[in-house]
Amino acid sequence: MAFSNNMQDSVYYHYSPNHRLSLGVEAVNNKYTNQNYAYWRATYLLNRKNRQRSQRNVYLEAGISSQGSNEGFASVHYDWETRRWFSGFGVKRVSDHATDYSETFFKVGIAPYLGEYGDLHTWLLLKRKRDTRLEHWLTYPVLRFFKGNFFIEIGYKSEIEWDTHLMFRF
Amino acid sequence: MRSFNVTLALFALGFSQAAFSTPDSELGRHHEDAAALPSAAAASKRYQVFVADLSEINVAIVGVKGMVCDFCARGIEKTFKKDKFVRKVDVDLANGQVLVAYSLDKIIDQREISQKILANGQNVTAVAIVKI
Repeated sequence: MAFSNNMQDSVYYHYSPNHRLSLGVEAVNNKYTNQNYAYWRATYLLNRKNRQRSQRNVYLEAGISSQGSNEGFASVHYDWETRRWFSGFGVKRVSDHATDYSETFFKVGIAPYLGEYGDLHTWLLLKRKRDTRLEHWLTYPVLRFFKGNFFIEIGYKSEIEWDTHLMFRF
Repeated sequence: MRSFNVTLALFALGFSQAAFSTPDSELGRHHEDAAALPSAAAASKRYQVFVADLSEINVAIVGVKGMVCDFCARGIEKTFKKDKFVRKVDVDLANGQVLVAYSLDKIIDQREISQKILANGQNVTAVAIVKI
């Protein structure tokens, strides 16, 4: 998994021993503090509700920084989706040597067409997020595509430029 | 820093309670629901296409809840294809259904099927076996 936005770039490799848990390491290039470090990360599926045509998830995530056990992050993510609709919410609290800050986001989306298994799937999303290191909330469009084991999400806002998320499942 | 530590403590609490457990309730009650199978499945065009090039097999028709995303359903196909007796797998997102073709050497265990689906994070609602 790889993330890139105006504040940081990162690459995250993780392994899931079961569907509730994943453990991994994330290499981070923090553009805000101009530092490189790693997080030892864990993600835990706290709650999942499967229905015939929808799924809802609540995840807890935490990471300990390679710069010290007093530095790291913790977050909560929620999402609900059908084949047509998506909604998501997340809050992340980060403590590093420079500052404590939080990130909050909301996402809503729609699939303009319903692809079959194996097709290219497309989603149109609207993301609203706030990083407390910045002044205000930002709202911008995001495109999501996935096919097979490859997933990409691309958002753009002139103020922060690109916000991208890549994922490949081995 | 305090809020970070509190969140970490909550994370650890949630993790310790259920990280490695698989409650039986998550395996579904497909044995009771067997009569409620989508009876039309075996007559559907998709099923006919699936079995068109197969013979001397058992097909498991598996109803699945929560299979709403292609990317998330990838693990189902991968998991079943690790079984040397599996000859073909089809995932039908629209109808929440998975078709698995087994060679006749395989003794099909519905609980094993449920566990494989659960291992990917979805739930089985019903299983039917059809011999071809």
